[in-house]
Amino acid sequence: MAAGGAGGKTYSFKVVLLGEGCVGKTSMVLRYCENKFNDKHITTLQASFLTKKLNITGKRVNLAIWDTAGQERFHALGPIYYRDSNGAVLVYDVTDEDSFQKVKNWVKELRKMLGNDICLCIVGNKIDLDKDRHVSVEDAESYAESVGAKHYHTSAKLNKGIEELFLDLCKRMMETAQAEERLKGNGASQSASSRRGVQIVDDEPQATPAGGCCSSG
Amino acid sequence: MFASRAAHGRVNGTTAIPWRSSRRKPNLLEQLKGSECAWCPAAPWEREGARAALCGTPAGSFLVVRDSTTSVPSLLCVSAGGDNNEAVIDYCIKSTGTVHTANLTKRHQLVLFYSLTRDVLAKTRDLSQLEPETWLCSPTDQQTDEMTQREPSNVMCSIQLTSTNGALCIINPLYLREHGDDWLTNRTTSAQSATQSPTNYRKERRLSSTRAWAGAGLLTKRAISMEQDSAAITETSALTRAFSADSPHCPTSTSETSAGVVLRRPSRDAASFPAPYRVSSGSLTPSTPGGSNRESLELLPHGSPVPLSPHRVSWIEDGVWLPPPRPSSRLHPPSQELDSLSISSIEEEQEYQIPSPAPHHQSAHRLADKVIHRLSAVGQALGGLVCQKKRLTNRVQELSERKGSAFAEAVKGFVEMTLKKAGDHSGVTGSEFLQEVRSSLSSLRETLLDYPDILALLDSITDLNDSEIDSLVELSLHKVALKPVSAHLYSCIHTSRTNDGSFDRLQSNMSVLEKNGVEELGGSAGVGVPDSLTLERIQQRWTSMHEVYSPNKKVQILLKVCKSIYHSMSANASSGTAFGADDFLPCLTWVLLRSDVVTLHLDTDYMMELLDPTQLQGEGGYYLTTLYASLYYISSFRPRLAARQLSVEAQNSLNQWHRRRTLHCNQSRRSRNRRTIRRQTCRDRGSQNSETGTERREERSGGDGESFDNNEEETQQQTEPEALQPLDEETHTPSDCNQRDEVTSKQEERQSMCGEEDHR
Repeated sequence: MAAGGAGGKTYSFKVVLLGEGCVGKTSMVLRYCENKFNDKHITTLQASFLTKKLNITGKRVNLAIWDTAGQERFHALGPIYYRDSNGAVLVYDVTDEDSFQKVKNWVKELRKMLGNDICLCIVGNKIDLDKDRHVSVEDAESYAESVGAKHYHTSAKLNKGIEELFLDLCKRMMETAQAEERLKGNGASQSASSRRGVQIVDDEPQATPAGGCCSSG
Repeated sequence: MFASRAAHGRVNGTTAIPWRSSRRKPNLLEQLKGSECAWCPAAPWEREGARAALCGTPAGSFLVVRDSTTSVPSLLCVSAGGDNNEAVIDYCIKSTGTVHTANLTKRHQLVLFYSLTRDVLAKTRDLSQLEPETWLCSPTDQQTDEMTQREPSNVMCSIQLTSTNGALCIINPLYLREHGDDWLTNRTTSAQSATQSPTNYRKERRLSSTRAWAGAGLLTKRAISMEQDSAAITETSALTRAFSADSPHCPTSTSETSAGVVLRRPSRDAASFPAPYRVSSGSLTPSTPGGSNRESLELLPHGSPVPLSPHRVSWIEDGVWLPPPRPSSRLHPPSQELDSLSISSIEEEQEYQIPSPAPHHQSAHRLADKVIHRLSAVGQALGGLVCQKKRLTNRVQELSERKGSAFAEAVKGFVEMTLKKAGDHSGVTGSEFLQEVRSSLSSLRETLLDYPDILALLDSITDLNDSEIDSLVELSLHKVALKPVSAHLYSCIHTSRTNDGSFDRLQSNMSVLEKNGVEELGGSAGVGVPDSLTLERIQQRWTSMHEVYSPNKKVQILLKVCKSIYHSMSANASSGTAFGADDFLPCLTWVLLRSDVVTLHLDTDYMMELLDPTQLQGEGGYYLTTLYASLYYISSFRPRLAARQLSVEAQNSLNQWHRRRTLHCNQSRRSRNRRTIRRQTCRDRGSQNSETGTERREERSGGDGESFDNNEEETQQQTEPEALQPLDEETHTPSDCNQRDEVTSKQEERQSMCGEEDHR
């Protein structure tokens, strides 16, 4: 989707973090972007939007990470947040099986709404608590494969697996974007921007089906 | 002094003309009323103190002293310009009933006149701009013109330093011209001059006589402002009259020293500072804009050191305050908060865009070097942003007006087309229309970037990244292309939203929701909401957000609102704990329920559609999305209680829904219970876990697609038709029904699982 690198110089990707509360979404992104970890459970502390700059094989990538920050309570608002995303990181807690079920729900929804344009990562967080694991590695990995997502195991606490996860995701998003650019051929920048404008509306009937309120989003 | 009195009548005749004629903006008189504590100080000040302070000040300087027992203004002490005690003349103020009121007005008028006719003028004129609109939006528009049109010799520039501890410091460069800038680097100079020696003042006052200069500056400025404000023409002529009335008394000396350093400190107790010093030294300063008295301004004597560890330096060109000082330190505590809150990153950079002096501003340049050398060492990077921004804006404006240029033609075509289409609503929805506008803006940008000199200008901006440069280009485009059509766009959105029922839905749900506390809106227990003052401030910001035409500027204002909401969440929390992003949406919703949602919806549409799409990914986009989500939450809210009053038929049909949900609800309930148990006995359950998990998964996949929360309507519509079929004829019992209600009411709670499980 909307890869902001018209000239192929800089890519801008939007990545949305989804998952049940308390699975460690914010911890992961804080660890990734600021290398911080807070052991106490702090609900998403004013860190719902973070950016990270990367350089991957000479290409600059700007990553905008949208944490859903408690919006799981208002799940109908989900589409408003994840539309236009290039990637989604779906986080569950390996000790909490319910949270894995939630991830499955998110996968269904995202595939339905955004099709295959979006790169999905399913992430089992808190592997430092492996002794309490309630989601089997095999189940999780086979599920991820079955829906075309990649699976990762991470620990925000121990700073394990997080860099790899985001790096991989970036590479995949770049591939998707490059494929799209090739499809479009020349004149990409013009059509890309106009398409992006339209795209908002494309999603809208699904995002706000209740009579099209706010449909201009 | 008597000249002042004599001229007073004339001024009196013209004071009705607002200083700035824009709607909503308080005129100078109003601002002076707001700053009353400066020139009419409270209790400790009595006659002798006032006289001492006035001694040696220029003729016309005055203070109003309050009666020590009644606190009613009782005495007007006016300096006649001499050094001795006779130089101060007292006038009794009668304060009985209406007479008092009348006198009060006159006092303000006197101050006004005083301000207009002396070198305090320049300063006061600055202050006249310290009003919410200017605080809030970056004043590029009005500055732009001045910057280039002013002759170098006319350039008056001040420097505003803001230290990390929030102190604001304003330095008149003319002071520096006269006295050097040693004090900037030499802290020990302060002690001597800190003592209030009348002769010092006298001496300085004699030096400070730039009325002619100030007048010229003022007139130039008024002339410029006519562009924005047709009513300013009358103002200008009125002012001209005021000046000519005064001019015979103007000393013609051109060297000038006026106010020294104004320290601006966050302070809870207003009016506790020796405000009179300000008056006596000619820098009459309203303590805060908008009458909010949270901060006090303190004039430090000339020669005081700048605050320690300053971290922002801003230019004030010709008295225009580039970055509005922090409107309220309570809303914006010092830097540690800024670090932790990412919104601030944008705000700080954008609001405090730091101009570097244009090359032709010789004195400014020299001064900039001095200050920058001193202050940038403290770690704040300084950019040449505003200046380049102005150049860009000017250049784009020129291009758009140049006859026959491709860009001018394109802009003209765009404006005409947009105005035409905006009047014709047939067949095109509001958002489609706005998207056309957006894509036109994008092509205008392409056209603009075909100009080599624009490209060269952009290339010369080395200290900005690509997206910031994009944003600059956008801003300059907005001025030439969006400004002329914004009113039409608003009305177009308004029509479209009225027709599709959005506004009705919003407003009818407002009345349902407005009684809800923030916890009922989904916030955590104890989370704080903005107090009435903050709320008022937020409303002002919404207003200014609506008034700016550039979607980028709107977003910047939105970010400030978000920031103050964040602040209130923890600052006003009942428990004293910190609340974060998880509770932001409910708090924002709470604020929206107390705001003009229709206008906000209008602005949200405007921003969503007209922002450069790449910017929608940024922080502004994130909070814009949150605003949108919050509005959506309100407009799609379905009151549960209303169902109880429905007809039997309606209830039956709802029961059908209940039945479907019951299955799911039971599952959810089960999973909730199990969850609780599991959390407690995690280890015990470890072995049997994967089996149950699979089972439940199957169960759920059946019920999946059902929804029973507030937003059920849209969620249901998102599901595939087959998912809406009744899945199971499980018996529906009253208890299930109650259970459902209970669960529903809990769905807004932080840990509610039910709602989420429905989510597909």
